[in-house]
Amino acid sequence: MNPFAVTRLEWRRLLVRPLAWILAALTLAWLAWNFTLLLGGFLTTQVQRAALPDGPGFVDLVAVPLLGQLVQLAFLVVPLLTMSTIAGERRNGTLPLLFAAGVPASRIVLGKYLAVLGWLLLWLLLTLAMPLALAHSTALDWGKLAAASLGVVLLLASLAALGVACSSFVSHPAIAAAFALVITLVLWSVNLGAQMAGVNDGIINWLAMSTHAQPMLRGLVTSADIIWFVLLAVLSLTLATRRLNADKERG
Amino acid sequence: MTSIKPASARPILQLDHINRRRAGRPAVQDLSLGLQSGQVLGLLGVNGAGKSTTLSMIAGAMRPDSGSIQLNGEDFLEQPELARQQIGWLPERAPIWAELTVSEHLDAHGRLRGLAGARLREARKTIIDRLELQPLLRRLAGVLSQGQRQRLGLACALLHTPALLVLDEPANALDPVQVAALRGLIREQAAAGTAVILSTHLLAEVTAVCDRVAILHQGSLRHEGALDSNDHAALERRFFEIAMHDNTHAAHAA
Repeated sequence: MNPFAVTRLEWRRLLVRPLAWILAALTLAWLAWNFTLLLGGFLTTQVQRAALPDGPGFVDLVAVPLLGQLVQLAFLVVPLLTMSTIAGERRNGTLPLLFAAGVPASRIVLGKYLAVLGWLLLWLLLTLAMPLALAHSTALDWGKLAAASLGVVLLLASLAALGVACSSFVSHPAIAAAFALVITLVLWSVNLGAQMAGVNDGIINWLAMSTHAQPMLRGLVTSADIIWFVLLAVLSLTLATRRLNADKERG
Repeated sequence: MTSIKPASARPILQLDHINRRRAGRPAVQDLSLGLQSGQVLGLLGVNGAGKSTTLSMIAGAMRPDSGSIQLNGEDFLEQPELARQQIGWLPERAPIWAELTVSEHLDAHGRLRGLAGARLREARKTIIDRLELQPLLRRLAGVLSQGQRQRLGLACALLHTPALLVLDEPANALDPVQVAALRGLIREQAAAGTAVILSTHLLAEVTAVCDRVAILHQGSLRHEGALDSNDHAALERRFFEIAMHDNTHAAHAA
């Protein structure tokens, strides 16, 4: 079997559903509007910043905040994109068709995950195109931009895996979206209480997604943060695969 | 328990002592069946007899709790990928992706079944011509009538020219003309050497196209044997005997 048969099928389904297009149009319009506002602010303060020897540049004041907005939007967009991946198949009665075609559960999960990830990467590229369009007329800090982009890629990849996992555990896409949103928000802010109490280390901070995403958005890449995101994605996809295998056993 | 044993040659499908529980009760119990190429087996039973569960296990969509399924002499449970090339399955309500067109369904099913490139194009052309799907190709599956949807499901099941065709209540919601066409197609497939299992609760359906019959009741195989097309009355008598006998027992037990 073509190893990407499920990816191709899911990708096609994403492209013909209005939801993906509406999400793309609305979020990109919002990001473009914010880009112009950030750019306006950057240009207004250009003279004052010129006096500072190591003042913040275009990437700090425009590109990174723009990616930060994309991350906030992703909290909502990713659950909406992933909610139907498996829950929709279960609801349609098409999941047994995939089993009957001899497609292993791991390949079903991975295929759907890759399709959603492809869409999200395209979304990120279109967002990045806005600051990159000005690359010829401003001094870009390429290292910082690459680190921030890597952080967003990892975050999107782990959110997509989480969304697919939530979709694999329920039969109703809306419930899958709600689950994914709640888990994402909990993961992001699980250390909020600890931080308010002045505790900035420990397991609770390690568990929080924000602990690992924010340094990357500031241009600081560490292997510990990369591993955290990879672990979250692998764990989510493994849970989804186990759930599908259980579905096949249960019938 | 009785079983259908092939008279000669290796059966394309052999079920041995299959058991499966669903929702805490036995849905299929100690079922053994054999089927050879070119045979059409009618699986009869009242609603809830275990027909769909049996067919889901044969199609590879569900695993039995115990027992073995052999496909062309190979252990199907150990090698579920055998289903990909050798089995075509039409579930009771042909499942579709409503947002995809008929053409996209054929492509997707073809790829899932391992077809690509020229082989996929050839298979598509053959099945489109045979099931007269040309006018429907660009139509979304979600807007198809029940009969058209059933035709699409059948096309997807036949696309990869399987050695075993599993049809679960295929005549549901079809008009008489479509039923006649379906019967013709089943006979044609059998003549070409495809083994067919047809699940139904309609006796006329079985006597019209099947050469063997198996009656399931409360998850167990209660009758099996060759079928003569003139056997309709005898088959009907036997079917009602099995259903009524068990109901009477159940009433007495209560």
